[in-house]
Amino acid sequence: MYTIISDGGCDFTKVDVVRHNVDIIPFYITFDGETHMKEGVDISKDEYFTRLKTDKTLNPKTAQPSPQDYIDMLTPHLQAGNDVLVLTISSKLSGSHNSATLAAGMMEEEFPSRNIVVLDSLSASIGQGLILREIIKMRDAGFSLEKTAKRAEAVRNTTQLYFTVDSLEFLKKGGRVGTTTAFVGGILGLRPILHIQDGQAVQLETVRGKKNAYRLIEEAMVNALRDDVNDIQFNIGHILSEEDAVNFQVNIETALSVQMESPVTSIGAAIGTHAGPGALAFAYCKKYTACEANEKTSFIEERKAA
Amino acid sequence: MNTWFIIAQVLGVITIGFEFASYQIKDKTRYFLVTGIGSFFWALMFVAIGLATGMSTQLSLIVAATYSTIRNLVFFGIFKKNTPQSKEIGLNFLLFMILVALVAGTITVLNAPAEVRWLHALGMVTALAFVIGQYLPGVHYVRITVVFYAVVVLLTQTPINILYGDFRWNIMGIAIESAKIISVAVFYARYANQPKQAQLVFAKP
Repeated sequence: MYTIISDGGCDFTKVDVVRHNVDIIPFYITFDGETHMKEGVDISKDEYFTRLKTDKTLNPKTAQPSPQDYIDMLTPHLQAGNDVLVLTISSKLSGSHNSATLAAGMMEEEFPSRNIVVLDSLSASIGQGLILREIIKMRDAGFSLEKTAKRAEAVRNTTQLYFTVDSLEFLKKGGRVGTTTAFVGGILGLRPILHIQDGQAVQLETVRGKKNAYRLIEEAMVNALRDDVNDIQFNIGHILSEEDAVNFQVNIETALSVQMESPVTSIGAAIGTHAGPGALAFAYCKKYTACEANEKTSFIEERKAA
Repeated sequence: MNTWFIIAQVLGVITIGFEFASYQIKDKTRYFLVTGIGSFFWALMFVAIGLATGMSTQLSLIVAATYSTIRNLVFFGIFKKNTPQSKEIGLNFLLFMILVALVAGTITVLNAPAEVRWLHALGMVTALAFVIGQYLPGVHYVRITVVFYAVVVLLTQTPINILYGDFRWNIMGIAIESAKIISVAVFYARYANQPKQAQLVFAKP
């Protein structure tokens, strides 16, 4: 038996956490650089983004969980004799994976008979969430830690995450676009469509207008998923735009004649701070049953050697 | 016949080739490279005409063509690099180019005879629209704006000259602008019957 832990990048709700019996290590949010609040504990997502929307002067920052946060979360599970699988947000987007790896290294010295697998999702938000859901299914299906880790890696390699933002203001605050780009883009109503590729955010396309962006994304998503409808799962995330997300869900479900397994998700601070209110995210991956694992000698042994 | 004049005609034909080819290209980076090379030959053509007929009459055209060459080749570099930083530099450069065009255009409008001032003002507006259209995403803005721009340039090179009492039209200039319009028409004719390609492609899972 093993325990599943993820950082807050997966954007699981409290209901999801309880229902699926996983532990979440939240990210930190600060508005003033001094007071650090735990996302989902000290401040809710809605509260956070409503503050961002109403007070334009705010310049919030997020911080990854520390190695100590991971140690605190890992210790009781290891003491109880459980192995642990830790899923983190992309290591190219946050230092959370590094914190988890450091903590795992320290804990393995203390608990040499236990196994800890730290898996880099190379994704974020609902993309990471989809991988986590597949890991949960594998655990519930009785897979070993080794088998789950191998297959989760295969699921990860099929995961795609795209998002579009309502305003360039927050990308500018995060240093991802320049002042002139944000200014001119705002005047022209430009909406970038971003893709998490190899764990990093890259701009895929820029289109004019929200309606146009949604139409193109819907078309692209249907084209990408059309041939694998029975083997995929997808999700739609939003920041204070639930109505748009639900409309999108209905359109995709109708076009592909398939049901979305999990409800539309409220995006958290890790990605949301850069995307801002009004952003929508789109993610999909192959189900673990449709993935072929990379048959390494031993995922755990190889990772420990590394 | 003056050798420089013949060279100018040859350079004009080369310009037509590149300008025509550029509006058949969907990819923005390659478009800027090809149209940039076209603008370079266009500038050389004015230099050759200047050497044939006197540089003073061609100076403003040489400046305009050089401005166009630099703009297109800088945009080529920016789109090729395709990073947030390069795009920021590109946008600042675009705004600077717009400012230069506004100043030059305003001076031209003010110095034009009152009865044709409107046409020069229209020229300035369409030129600005074209520069912005080049930078905007997609394949349509640049083609729509270049047609308006080329039509106005054609107008300034024909009726205005009649008003001036000057019948020495720049035939090669007319041919170059016409080539752009024809190229856009050919582009839409070529792609009208082809199955529509998705503008946005997402990766398979």
